[in-house]
Amino acid sequence: MPTMNRDRTELLQGTLDMLILRTLLLGAAHGHEIAKHIQRTTDDVLKPEHGSLYPALHRLERKGLVVSKWDAHREHNRECKYYRLTPAGRKQLTASQSKWKRLQEAIARVMSAAARADV
Amino acid sequence: MSHDDLDRELRAHLEFEAEEQRERGLSPEDAAFAARRALGNRTRITEDVRALSPWATVDDFAQDLRYGARMLRKHPAFAVIAALTLALGVGATTAIFSIVDAVLLRPLPYADVDRLAMVWENVNLPAYKNARNTPSPGNFRDWRDRNSTFVDLAAIRGGNWSLTGHGEPIRVEGENVSASLFRLLQVEPLLGRVFTTEEERAGGGHVVLLGHALWADRFASNPAIVGQTIHLNDEPYTVVGVLPRGFHFPDPTDRVYLPLGLTPQQLANHGSHFLRVLGRLKPGVTLAQAQGDLDAVARQLTKELPQSNTGVGVTIVGLPEQVVGDVRVPLLIMLGVVAFLLLMVCANIGNLLLARASAREREFAVRAALGASRVRLLRQMLAESVLLSAISGVAGLALAYLGVEALRALAPSTLPRIDDIKVNGVVAAFDVAVALAAGILCGLVPAMQARRSDFRDALKDDARASSAGGRMRARNVLIVAETALGVVVLVGAGLLLRTFVHLTQLPVGFQSDRLLTFRVALPPGRYATEPQRTAFYAALSERLQATAGVTSASAISFLPLSLRGRTTAVSAEGDVPELPGQARFVDFRSVAPGYFRTMSIPIRAGRDVAWSDTPASRPAVVVSETLARTFWPNQDPLGKWIKLGRPQDKVPMLTVVGVVGDVRQLDLVRTPRPAAYFPAAQDHGTGDTLADWVVRTLDEPMSLAAQARAAVWAIDATLPITRMQTMERLRSAVTATQQFNLLLVGIFAVLALVLAAIGLYGVTSYSVDQRTRELGIRVALGAQRREVLRLVLSQGARLAVAGLAAGTVAALALTRFMATLLFGVGARDPLTFAAVGLLLLVVSLVASCIPAHRATRVDPVIALRST
Repeated sequence: MPTMNRDRTELLQGTLDMLILRTLLLGAAHGHEIAKHIQRTTDDVLKPEHGSLYPALHRLERKGLVVSKWDAHREHNRECKYYRLTPAGRKQLTASQSKWKRLQEAIARVMSAAARADV
Repeated sequence: MSHDDLDRELRAHLEFEAEEQRERGLSPEDAAFAARRALGNRTRITEDVRALSPWATVDDFAQDLRYGARMLRKHPAFAVIAALTLALGVGATTAIFSIVDAVLLRPLPYADVDRLAMVWENVNLPAYKNARNTPSPGNFRDWRDRNSTFVDLAAIRGGNWSLTGHGEPIRVEGENVSASLFRLLQVEPLLGRVFTTEEERAGGGHVVLLGHALWADRFASNPAIVGQTIHLNDEPYTVVGVLPRGFHFPDPTDRVYLPLGLTPQQLANHGSHFLRVLGRLKPGVTLAQAQGDLDAVARQLTKELPQSNTGVGVTIVGLPEQVVGDVRVPLLIMLGVVAFLLLMVCANIGNLLLARASAREREFAVRAALGASRVRLLRQMLAESVLLSAISGVAGLALAYLGVEALRALAPSTLPRIDDIKVNGVVAAFDVAVALAAGILCGLVPAMQARRSDFRDALKDDARASSAGGRMRARNVLIVAETALGVVVLVGAGLLLRTFVHLTQLPVGFQSDRLLTFRVALPPGRYATEPQRTAFYAALSERLQATAGVTSASAISFLPLSLRGRTTAVSAEGDVPELPGQARFVDFRSVAPGYFRTMSIPIRAGRDVAWSDTPASRPAVVVSETLARTFWPNQDPLGKWIKLGRPQDKVPMLTVVGVVGDVRQLDLVRTPRPAAYFPAAQDHGTGDTLADWVVRTLDEPMSLAAQARAAVWAIDATLPITRMQTMERLRSAVTATQQFNLLLVGIFAVLALVLAAIGLYGVTSYSVDQRTRELGIRVALGAQRREVLRLVLSQGARLAVAGLAAGTVAALALTRFMATLLFGVGARDPLTFAAVGLLLLVVSLVASCIPAHRATRVDPVIALRST
């Protein structure tokens, strides 16, 4: 069943939610668009398993961070389910972004300290 | 959130992805496939999204249960066997718990029961030790007046009375009580009032309180009874009140309450011990503080009254401990034994489920491949056993209900609170909890096993070996554990059996077969004088002996093994004036002539008592061998004397005229103490009458019951006759507790043996099935039947021996807890352990014989062809 490369970067738990919210900051998008956007902007480093995207989207919607609406696709003659950020989602994104930043800085400090110790 | 919605969404996703792949140059088929791969398991995604719904859990649960029900319906034989055995285990556990609940867990029906305590004398003398001796009136009075930790103390003295008028004469049991008793117990009469302090004093008034049962049975619950007069022992008593339904203290058989009626002289007496004393602690006072308080009082009394109070301390026992203290350990042991049985049942069902699991391994693998999560699969496996629990919980409750009825009928009367035993809400909740726990426990075994095995192997064609090996190991562990549990139960039963056999084979000192006994208590009013009583004894003896089928008849004050008796301090010829606390104690009985002959107690020397031993003749006494031997070692006891009291006391000397064999007096377990038998006409002021009659018959004793009654009533038609029974019955009643213990544990042991056998049979026959191909190869290569047989049997035997070893170790560690239930046999009795081991080995061998026999008939051709 595993479909991904073993050496692909695994998404930290909870991070997927943040990436989805960040993607939706640019405007409403459907599931496939979100997946592709994350993949493209990270130069294919992060390839969210498409399967895990939908439970995450539905979870966010249940929490009221996003809302969804079926709409006609701009190019294709096809209806798509578009997800859009709510004010609550915006607030959540800011919160998780600053938390993420702190975590990142902390980890960076540890790693550079370790690097100095190596020398 | 509808499924269609998600489905549409996922379809759109796949189309976008496939389109992208096609643009990269893949064929339409490959593109569609790549898109599906990138998306992952669609069922899993659907499940994950669905699980977000708050209803999902309930929904899944219902689905799991439906699935479980379908599985059970598909295998009705398994379902019925599993549900029945589980119901049996749960029902037995629940029934035993109902006793524990009624006796140990539910509080006693008295207000503020934790502050009630019984107060006993703690007697510690060289010749007599008893931590719960009945207090003397003097000690009761002094404890009551000098303590600072009790609200009040109340004294109680058991008695029984002939109730005449209002129908056939009957004997009623009851208590003489302090007026304060009802206040201490905080009980209000249903009608009328309780006693006043004036009535408590001797001669304070002939008043009586009726128990609810007597009021209902005898007086048709007539409220007008209050103020009326009834006749007890031919004397008039005014009914002042009726006690509420269910009230009794201290004995369940108490039906009337009379005032204590002790004279000031009696209340000053520290030497005669016959009361029971109840106290209520002041608020905030602990039992230990009260103990310290009364210890100080007792020390004072010893100093003031060295003659009577040397070696007399105080024991305070909380009322709950007093009532149920003796049965707590036995009951908890029963609960432990039945819990072991339940575990064995679980092991057996776990085994069955394991066998089923191997058959369903492929099915589960497919489910897992199709996206079922492991948790979901686990739940599905458990659903079946939870359903089993539900069925067995209901059936178990029904069984427990029947069991409780049987237990109440069988329980010895010494078990306190028998009438409280019932299936109530607590018991039902226990039943449900046990059934669920047992079901989940059974289901966990295969579920844990499945967790460990890799589903992918199961999908391969020839993949039985890997997980089957693990499953076999699990089954072996289960069967060893089950056998070990069985050993513990069997050893327990074996020890109780040995105890019982030992008790029934104890020499009691008399011949108990073909003996009829009954009790006639003479009312003191009409039989006030010695000549009146003696005339009655002589007349009844004569009448009984003239009855056809009677070889001899006589009477005694307290029948052996009746748990009643009198013990008196005596001194003997040759004693020096004694120091305080140095008295010799003897069992003291009044008898009519012919008692020893009737009971077949051998007369070793001298003569029996005779009608010619009267108050006018020289006081005579017949003594037991033990008395003769301990009082006058290596001397001729005939012609020696003993006295009731100290050597220097001015009381008559009683000349020994005969020596008889020893008899177990109070019960079976106490070895005979020195005993002295007095002619009834010379009662030396004890007031004992010859109440217990013994009749030796030619045929079945009870066939003469009617004639015996007629003989009594021909002399005095107003005398109530009670306890008409055979001596064998009386003797059996003494071991009622042991019989009950043995019966219960015996039933459990038989069940345990059957369960162990079934388990061993199951595991051996499963292993034969698993090894069909191997056995076929062996046969094809020339293995003899005998070798195949030995191969299979030795496997069963190895498991049995392993279980036996583990069980023996466990039993060695556990049986010491039942030491108080044993008599004449050690908790580690080697014979019992050896016998249980042998029994279990034989049973296990028989159990594995059937599959072993099947193994010898394995046809190598068929075995090798089938996979």
